[in-house]
Order: sequence, then structure tokens, then C-alpha cells
Amino acid sequence: MDPTHLHLLLNHVPTVGFGIGVALFVIGMFGRSDDLKQASLVIFVGVALVTIPTYVTGNAAQVHLQERGEVSDATNPEGMVTLSLIETHEGAAFLALAFMEVTGALAWLALWQFRRTMKLSPGMGGTLIVLSLATLGLMAQAANVGGMINHPEIRGAEEMTTFAGHFGRVAGDYVRDTPWTWIAAETIHFVGLSMLVGVILLIDLRMLGFMKQVSFAALDRLLPWAMLGFAMNTFTGMLFFAAAYGQYVNNPAFFWKLVFVLLAGANTLYFTFDRTWALEPGRDAPMLSKAAAVGAMFFWVGVMYWGSMLPFIGNAF
Amino acid sequence: MQLAMTVFSVVLGVTLVVAVLGILIDRNAASHERKEGR
Repeated sequence: MDPTHLHLLLNHVPTVGFGIGVALFVIGMFGRSDDLKQASLVIFVGVALVTIPTYVTGNAAQVHLQERGEVSDATNPEGMVTLSLIETHEGAAFLALAFMEVTGALAWLALWQFRRTMKLSPGMGGTLIVLSLATLGLMAQAANVGGMINHPEIRGAEEMTTFAGHFGRVAGDYVRDTPWTWIAAETIHFVGLSMLVGVILLIDLRMLGFMKQVSFAALDRLLPWAMLGFAMNTFTGMLFFAAAYGQYVNNPAFFWKLVFVLLAGANTLYFTFDRTWALEPGRDAPMLSKAAAVGAMFFWVGVMYWGSMLPFIGNAF
Repeated sequence: MQLAMTVFSVVLGVTLVVAVLGILIDRNAASHERKEGR
């Protein structure tokens, strides 16, 4: 299986999968079902994570098609896909990805508030409905253009355009060609990493039995800081990728980094529901939580390891 | 020098925005805890 297959497989998750999540969330909000609301919030977070590899495998598929000589620079070539159509799809997908990640981050925050207060505030619920519907619309637009790349039979005589234009390429080229952007993004990436790993390590050590006098409830208040760090890193990471995707799409270290990000994200989602947070100071975490804490440390160290190996394995930098 | 100042300003600006967001989330959580008498 190459990245093109992976893209064709994954691209249904941010469209069909997210659509199911939005439908469940709307039913949960109007039907006042907390279980449905929580289930749909988990879907939002999960889809936001899977959307990252969906996006990056798109550029990998583009490189694959270009290497096979199946992409034309001409405006209207017979039976071939144009670079312009691919960049229109990339632009729509880049905008949809940004919305999806904001929706995923807010959904995680809503889950975190849910566990603490046993309810979803009306403001958060309303914001999530509007944001998720906007994200679904943008994702459908990206999917519509993407379908035309793979299915010549649905391409019209006029080439498809969207209001996002070639947004992904414009943003990527700006980061690549402006001296301060890459350096600033790199520094912010390290600030985000420190916030994320600092908080996660504290929590994992407490789960493993260190600092028993500290209550889990006190550490729970730190979790949003870790999520903010993760958001900073997702945003800056996508800027790096958009600026120089050629360095990443054939780089095994990058794909392993993504695998570890997904595993670490799933692990974080588990801790959102873990019952350990209710334990009093001095109490020991259950064995399952300890195992998840060891997993979290392994996955996050793995993310850092593969990130630092980017220049040394494959063709990056 | 100008590049260093630009990078410093951008990083400082983003970090401050993130810090304000974090403080707002934490204050919101604290107010919920007070309401519930935790």
C-alpha cells in the first residue's frame, strides 16, 4: 500500500465519518442526550486526528502522480488531471483542515469540561454546532474537487474552482519564501512541545505512583495547557508541511512520527474518560491507568524521536 | 538584527495569546469548582 492508496482510504473519514459525528451531535443537543453528545465529541476529536494523515497523504499522492507523468501543466489537457485542479483541491483541503483542527480542539475541551461538570455549556454546544457544520461544508467542498481528480467522468468542461483558491500553495509558498516564518514557527513548535510534554510527563509520573500527595484533580487542571501546546504544534507542523511537502512525503521518519502522534492522541482520549481523576491524594492509580501512562510516555518520546530524525532519515532538509 | 526582532516579536505575541487562552480556560474551570463547592 502506497500513500495514494492510504489517501483514497482515509479521505472518507473527514467527510462521511465527520458527517455521522455532526448528525449525532445535533440529535444529542436537541434530544438532550448526554451520551450522544459525548460520543459525537469523541468522533470529532478522532476525526480531527485522522484528518492530519489524510491531508499529508494527499500531497504524497500528488507527487506519486507527477512522478508517473499523469499531471499536466496545460490548462485543458485531454484526459489528464491538471496541476491547477490538484492545487484547488489542496487549497480547499487546507482551509477545511484548519477548521477541522479547531473543531477537534474545542470538542476535546468540551469533553474535558463534561467530565468535570457533567454537562455541556450552551455556549460551547452552540459554538460546536456552528463550527462543525462549517467544517462539514468546507470538507464536502474539498472532497468534491478531490473526486474530480480521481474520476475524469465527473469533470466538467470548465475547471472547478472554489473560494479558497490555491490557499494551501499560497500559504506554503509564503512560509517557504519569507525568512522569518519558518524560524518563528520552529520556535513556537518547541514552546508547544515543552508545554505538551511537560504536563503529560507530570501526569504520567503521578499515575505511576510518584508525588502521591498531589491530587489527580489538581493535575487535571493542567490538561488544557497540554492541549494548547498540541494545538500550537499541529498548526506550526502543518505550516512546515505546506511549505516543503516534498521533504516529508517520501520520508519514513515523517510517517512514523504521524503514527506516533495518532497513538499518543488516542492515548490522551483514553485519559479523558479515565476514572483515576476522581481519586483522592495519596491513592494509587489502577493498573490500567498505569499501563496507559507508560504508553503515553513511550508514544510522546516516539513523536519527539521521529521528529528529530527527520533530517537524518529520508530526504528532509 | 531585523530578522531576530521579527521572530522574537511573533513568538512573544503567539505565546502571550496562548497564555491568555490558558488563563481564561483555567479561570472558567475554577469558577465551576467554586459553584460546586469542590
